Amino acid sequence: MTELASLPQFPGLTLLVLLPLAGALLCMFHGKRSAECRWLALATSLAVFAVTVYLFVCHGQGDGRWLLYEDAVWIERYGIRYVLAMDGIALLMVLLTAFMQIAAVLLAWRVERHVSSFFALLLLLEAGLMGIFLAYDLVLFYLFWEVALIPMFFLISVWGGVNRRQAALKFFLYTLVGSLCMLVAMIALYQIHGAQSGVYTFVIGELLQTQLTAAQEGWLFAGFMAAFIVKSPLVPFHTWLTDALTEAPAAGSLDLTGLLLKTGIYGLIRIAFPLFPNATANFLPVLGVLALVGLFHAAWSAYHQDDIKRLLAYSSISHLGLVVLGLAAWQFTAWEGSILLMVTHGITTGALFILVALIRERTDTRSMQELGGLWGQAPCLAFMFLLFSLASLGLPGLANFAGEILVLLGTFQEHPLWAVIALLGVVFTAAYMLRMIQGVIWGPARKERTLPDLTAREWLILLPMAILVVWLGIYPEPFLAPLHGTVATLLAGGLP
Amino acid sequence: MSLLDLLALLPILILVFGGTAILMAGAWYREPRPLLAGGIVTALLGAVAAGLVQPPTAEIAGLFSAGGYARFYTILWSLLAAAGLMVAARYVIEKKIGAGEYVSLVLYAAAGMALLSSATHLLGLFLALETFTLAFYILIASNRRCELAAEAGLKYLLMGAVATGFMAFGIALIYAASGSLALPEAVVRLTTTTGELHAWGLLGWGMVLIAVGFKISLAPFHLWTPDVYQGAPAPVAGLLATGSKGAVVAALVGMLAMAGPIWHDLVDLIWLLAALTMLVGAFSALSQKNLKRLLAYSSVTHMGTLLVGLLCQTTDGLAATTFYVVIYVVASFGAFAVIASLADERGEPMEFDQWRGLGYRHPVRCGVLTLLLLSLAGLPATAGFMAKFAIFHAALQSGYVGLVLIGVFASVISFAFYLRVTILLFQPEASASRWHKGATPEHAVLAVCASAVLLLGFFPGLLFDLIAHILP
Repeated sequence: MTELASLPQFPGLTLLVLLPLAGALLCMFHGKRSAECRWLALATSLAVFAVTVYLFVCHGQGDGRWLLYEDAVWIERYGIRYVLAMDGIALLMVLLTAFMQIAAVLLAWRVERHVSSFFALLLLLEAGLMGIFLAYDLVLFYLFWEVALIPMFFLISVWGGVNRRQAALKFFLYTLVGSLCMLVAMIALYQIHGAQSGVYTFVIGELLQTQLTAAQEGWLFAGFMAAFIVKSPLVPFHTWLTDALTEAPAAGSLDLTGLLLKTGIYGLIRIAFPLFPNATANFLPVLGVLALVGLFHAAWSAYHQDDIKRLLAYSSISHLGLVVLGLAAWQFTAWEGSILLMVTHGITTGALFILVALIRERTDTRSMQELGGLWGQAPCLAFMFLLFSLASLGLPGLANFAGEILVLLGTFQEHPLWAVIALLGVVFTAAYMLRMIQGVIWGPARKERTLPDLTAREWLILLPMAILVVWLGIYPEPFLAPLHGTVATLLAGGLP
Repeated sequence: MSLLDLLALLPILILVFGGTAILMAGAWYREPRPLLAGGIVTALLGAVAAGLVQPPTAEIAGLFSAGGYARFYTILWSLLAAAGLMVAARYVIEKKIGAGEYVSLVLYAAAGMALLSSATHLLGLFLALETFTLAFYILIASNRRCELAAEAGLKYLLMGAVATGFMAFGIALIYAASGSLALPEAVVRLTTTTGELHAWGLLGWGMVLIAVGFKISLAPFHLWTPDVYQGAPAPVAGLLATGSKGAVVAALVGMLAMAGPIWHDLVDLIWLLAALTMLVGAFSALSQKNLKRLLAYSSVTHMGTLLVGLLCQTTDGLAATTFYVVIYVVASFGAFAVIASLADERGEPMEFDQWRGLGYRHPVRCGVLTLLLLSLAGLPATAGFMAKFAIFHAALQSGYVGLVLIGVFASVISFAFYLRVTILLFQPEASASRWHKGATPEHAVLAVCASAVLLLGFFPGLLFDLIAHILP
């Protein structure tokens, strides 16, 4: 680690945080000229994406724990350091964030009210997300964790749907309760570590060596889990998500489902599991059961939705249940599958949220009662909808399949029963997805409408996602390659 | 009192004599602007003198300290007075309040607060407390045409009288039990006494604590707070919410650093007060529909959090408390300054209905208000987070896990009510009316508050290092 840090190098990771932040500030001060803000936001997102691609190409194949590591003193008094560290998982998440951000900016192109603030918040959110995925100091992590909440809070509360205020407050307070528990646990861990070793530090890498009694470990683990489980979200802490997703503006839902939800699971992988291996080992069965319950409960709820945005919200919870199940299996293949599924779910469900927004723009409704017959009215739009729905239900050859099959295979080796139950859940997914496809695309049109098909801007958003979905379905290996080393390390360092 | 003592007292003398000179000048010369400017310059001079002039003695007349800690707060309160005058300028001019009186009273109050923060003797403490309380009685009711202000003034007066009674009686008991009023001795001797005398001494300290409770509005002695803040003009309420409370807390920090075992007898009581204050303040704020009342209850829960820091009694705890005081003063005063800067001939915007959608009419100031409120709530990347972090950190280190959990719970509630205001500010559909565009000095104060909150949020080390040097 230290020899990496001492090398004078291109501060790519800092750039990932600072670029969107700078873009956000510029947007903020451009208040009146909304057209410029759009281009500014797009340019920033493209630049960030370029940096992530550069990191992927140049640093994606490193061996050892870290691909990149940046370290600087920040608040000396409390041993808080500015540490950004990128491993294989972080690399994928960062790549996903940058990619989705471009889609979000393009999707928000037609926002009319308070354009500059909207784009500023969107970019601020990106900065926060990048920070969450990269920070390797607990306080720094906590800072980004909370900072990412604020833009999302305002995106929902100002640009959201009818019930936006309640949804925004609910979103904020739910996640806040969890994160404050984490804060207390963080400080306690810091003090225990300091008392043992005499070194007071919040750097996760050093806190790993703390000796904890079983009771201490249990309590601290619970504090961290409170934050991550609420954010993931596992049933029964998921009710904030459906409201937030339903009320958020299109670009907000995209970032929320595609990226923000992943931070909870990412926190499990990167922080909670490695810090508290014994508590984790005890908790894994519970986690597995919670994941299965979530998988089924959400799928069941999704099946009964009429609002397609709400349906997708439940489907997100259901998919993330599968992701968590893979983690709970604690098996190499399942973990890789989970992480891959996190990425592919971000893309497929994100794309579906985009399509829902496009359908909503054209028809002014999201109710399956009033939709239908899209294939005849707007074939390209309908095709995209079909493609991403099929990808989402796990059709072989499309993105989610690779992740799901890895999760199921891996889980089967450790807990055959879980895998069998989860397989039934996947069937369930197919049921509600097909019902949605049927309700939206096929059948007679409930209302006679002439719908404009995809515009150039919309093609620009969807086509890269479609290509990626096919690519990830057929040949995911380039994206799995950086994971191998990291996952092996995490699994070995985790359980005794 | 020797000449050296006078030199050590220089910053206070500047404030007091400057104030008196302006008061006299105001009697002949009614033009408000020069008087206000003179007041601001005097306050700044006081701060400069406190910062630059090396005190020749460590103690002044055995009543007040002249150490780094006292100087630190002298600077803070002088600057606060200057900011208070800058924010009040338009109010004084428009409401045609005697500028000489107003300016001098603010300067006297600052002098009182500075003395209180440096008190090393119970008599000095009592005198200083009364000095600024007296000034505030008048300042709150300075606008004689406003009924709410008159009511607020009266409430503060009655409450102040009760507190004074407790304080005086408590001090008398302490003296009876320990035979000393000087602060280290009064405490030290009490620890060696036993039996009845010890009990009297404890009772005395308990009474002092009640008086303090009234002054910094700890629950259940906080009921006057929302009414007074609502009635007082925002520039005065800002001083009242920050300076008058911060100075008392500063005095407590000073006492605690010297006091030792005596507090162990009172720990349970303080624990209870802190928990109650945090919760009562947070829950009461939740149902408010008036920004000034909300800020009043918010100040109540902040005082509870400060008490947690005081309870720790470690260097870490005292440093955290001092840091918290500074951040709280900046953010809370800034919030009142925003209200003051928006005030026009209709009065101040207070009711939530008046704030709805105001973020689109006055984006910069509402943005600043949002930032300050988020800092008060303790959002990371603002100074408020570091302040809360430091307090919780110290409390966990001292083993007050329960209190920290209560504090965390109160923080969640606080977020709820602060966020409600920010949602309100940026309600898209509402058509808020336009308020005053604000004067330059007001903008300057807001700029300073906002940048301080951000700067200390990212680099809290700047202030922590300073505090580590000056703690008694």
